[in-house]
Amino acid sequence: MNKINKQQQNFNELADWVIDRTLKSGANGCKVNLSKTRFVDIIYRERRPDVIKEATTQSLSLEVFVNNRYASQSTPDLRKTTLESFINDVIDNAKIVEEDPFRTLPDPEYYKGQTNENLLLNDPSYGQHTPEERHDIVKKVEDACLKNGGDKVISVEAEEYDQHYEEYVKTSNGFEGSTESTEFWAGAEMTAQDEGDRRPNGYNYMGSRYFGDLPSLNDIGRIAAERTLDLMGGNKIPSETLPVIIESRNVATIGNGFLNALAGANIQQKRSFLADKRGQKVASDVFTVIDDPFIPKAFGSKYYDGDGFPARRRELITKGTINEFLIGWYYSRKLECEPTSSSVSNLIIPPGHRSVDEIIKELGRCILITDFIGGNSNSTTGDFSIGIIGKLYDKGQFVQSVAEMNIADNHLNFWNKLVEAANDPWIYSSARLPSLVFEDVIVAGV
Amino acid sequence: MKPIPRRKFIKGTSIAGSALLLLPELEIKRFIQSAPSTGYFLNEFGIDESLCKKLLDKALSKGGDFADLYFEYTVSNTLGLEDGKVNQSYGNILLGVGIRTVKEDQVGYGFTQDLSEESMVSAAATAASIADSAATTNEYSFRRPESGQYYPVDPELIEIPVKSKLPIVQAINEKCFAASPTIVKVNAGFANSVKRIMIVTSDGILYEDAIPGGYLYAAVVAQKDGRYEQASWNLGGKRNFSYYNDDTINEIAEKAVTNATTLFKAIQPPAGEMPVVLGPGITGVLLHEAIGHGMEADFNRKNISVYSTLIGKKVAEPFITIIDDATNMNLAGSINVDDEGTPGQSTVLVENGILKGYLHDKISAKHYGVEPTGNGRRQDFMNYPMPRMRNTYMLGGDAQPDDVIKAAGNGIYVEDVSNGEVKIGEGDFAFYISKGKMIENGKLTAPIKDVNIMGNGPKMLTNIILAANDLEMYQGGAGQCGKSGQGVPVSFGLPTCLVKSLTVGGTQQKVKQS
Repeated sequence: MNKINKQQQNFNELADWVIDRTLKSGANGCKVNLSKTRFVDIIYRERRPDVIKEATTQSLSLEVFVNNRYASQSTPDLRKTTLESFINDVIDNAKIVEEDPFRTLPDPEYYKGQTNENLLLNDPSYGQHTPEERHDIVKKVEDACLKNGGDKVISVEAEEYDQHYEEYVKTSNGFEGSTESTEFWAGAEMTAQDEGDRRPNGYNYMGSRYFGDLPSLNDIGRIAAERTLDLMGGNKIPSETLPVIIESRNVATIGNGFLNALAGANIQQKRSFLADKRGQKVASDVFTVIDDPFIPKAFGSKYYDGDGFPARRRELITKGTINEFLIGWYYSRKLECEPTSSSVSNLIIPPGHRSVDEIIKELGRCILITDFIGGNSNSTTGDFSIGIIGKLYDKGQFVQSVAEMNIADNHLNFWNKLVEAANDPWIYSSARLPSLVFEDVIVAGV
Repeated sequence: MKPIPRRKFIKGTSIAGSALLLLPELEIKRFIQSAPSTGYFLNEFGIDESLCKKLLDKALSKGGDFADLYFEYTVSNTLGLEDGKVNQSYGNILLGVGIRTVKEDQVGYGFTQDLSEESMVSAAATAASIADSAATTNEYSFRRPESGQYYPVDPELIEIPVKSKLPIVQAINEKCFAASPTIVKVNAGFANSVKRIMIVTSDGILYEDAIPGGYLYAAVVAQKDGRYEQASWNLGGKRNFSYYNDDTINEIAEKAVTNATTLFKAIQPPAGEMPVVLGPGITGVLLHEAIGHGMEADFNRKNISVYSTLIGKKVAEPFITIIDDATNMNLAGSINVDDEGTPGQSTVLVENGILKGYLHDKISAKHYGVEPTGNGRRQDFMNYPMPRMRNTYMLGGDAQPDDVIKAAGNGIYVEDVSNGEVKIGEGDFAFYISKGKMIENGKLTAPIKDVNIMGNGPKMLTNIILAANDLEMYQGGAGQCGKSGQGVPVSFGLPTCLVKSLTVGGTQQKVKQS
């Protein structure tokens, strides 16, 4: 388990008091989650601060169980004098709702096995950074974006955001967990002048758990400018069936539509097109999905899940075959099966060996999808439809930027069209996914 | 984690129903003795004028032009039903003050959940840091701005006890199951909140309000021949508890069940460009996304909106007038005053096809030399205000709805949409059609579902070539407009209208016509 600091020790003492009061007030069980977040957000525009925002927030969330009746409530007011009435309110609400035999705290046996590894989620240097350092970050990102945007720039907003988060969780039946983490983000959003009134807007944000791991500020600003300039001249082309490459940073958007159908709640509520597909092959061999909570410094790494189950590495999908659903304690009882975990940590699709550039050269006519717009995925049927923005290539040569176009399919069909993963996992997210190549996709346009 | 810096509209869950429901006698919680919109923060938290003046002085201690304080106390609760039982109660309390200092168009912002003087002064010092000159000297004299009352609620009924909501949610469940034997699952719920705010500004406004909000919803799953389909509906807004009566419950259940069962017959339309008829009501979200966001003045002040250079120019056919309105009674986007203290009002964006103006907060109004339009809104005290829409709609035309459909020839008819998104600079947008129909030879035929429509806002506006006389406003309460990480409740409306051409993202390639 993560080492407990002084703040978390204070949280621990308060949690004990809340649990004691809650049980004495009539609850059979309860769970307390205490958290505190400190953040700073600085935005520059036209080489001066546009917004400076800074604050500390705290929250207490209390879940109570009263004879299989359940209520949850949160408050920012951690004073014991006001928490007395808060606890009574939550218990009163629980007593009002109907009895549900599946509503209990998890069996404590399932709490066992939390890792002792240090996942390096907290940068100890947080708090040592001065306002001047933060402003300097934003200035450098803005400079790089302006420089690379050149005379096409209409507007650049550069931003630095950092936060320190502390959490302490305790249940009345023996679970205890704590997390301390930091994040540092820098990025820019640029608007460029295109033909007519069209003003393409692109962005690039990159972050890290540790300040020292932030990518080059010059690169962050440069990429924002380049991604914006890539949108110039964007237009739709006639509808066509061709290969598409979904850029690594956008794969999660379409992948989530598939993964949502693995959720226990959707399966039990008959809202999952995958409900009867465990053990079946539903996608191509390239589609292996690993849930790995133990990657040091990664954004999705964690020690425990929302039920208090210890985080564990698991292969959700192996070469297109579904191994495991995402089932927490409550829905495991409803489904009469063993719980797994209802939430994912870091998602990984094993990267391939070739770069996107190398793949494009061999694909002939294809579209590289660099962003999505709108759209939705129906977890019940598996149907999805989503707008795309990207670049059209032919035999490795850039043809034009594309916009106002769309792809639509059913997930059970679409993931069978997956033929290759590139070597470029997007590490600035908990979805550490590589660019993916799909064959024979209908792209709707003119 | 940082949100993606674009605008999204997310339609929340919706609907359910029940029959012959007898509402329980409401249990009244007398949280307050005085009227809800005056003296609350003084009585409950000791926030008086002298303390406010001290905080404003601190916020302007480094030479800001303007400062404001936004006190908030919001209590919300959602009661949820699953598998026949009302078995979940979720509550949340928001309490704090946000303090903003404005220097020209720059914003310093601090907030605290702790309403002690020490914490609030510290937040004011954070806000002040946006400026770096000598303190501004101010003599404050506060007044309450004249405003309408667009969500009158009985002060004694503003708190809706959880117990009073329970039979309503149970009734929705029963109603949905009774409506069709194909229904296999019902999720229903009743979310409501009371938001108490006090706005104090360095230019002399002191305004308190108590804002109700909420919605009743049902989401159903139907099964037929081994296939499953889902649909949902909700009704709500800024309403009294008495709104959630038999009629409301029946409408929610009927819409959710009908929408789900219709989908068994639905097909996917061909992909490609085609005429699109937007049905009345909820399709107004397309107006909100594709056009409204581009008319928010902050995007234009920064020259990043496609509408930045179009004031006074023709942007649509002469029969088109578009309004953003705070004054519709009880709608989700209605506001008595905005979150800067400017009275709610009706703002004409496009009049007879000409772009007349933008949606302003105080910063953009000063930039353009116009009066604020009452569009300065924020999610909560943890966020600073910015120009946001309220209830956005297009006035009806002269045609009959059937004539609009007939004029389309071959295309699609859109009845329900969700998950819209727009790119402000390009004007490009996308919407997900959750329910609609094919139009073949001027007549509605097979149902369609789960397809996207894509287009460009300014192009679509010029391509609206016919509008019917049946303007409807969306009556839901679950709609949230997202911008820069902040969600605010909105509504919208549209008459049946014909868009000459949009891209439809079906799964079949359209047969090329010679």
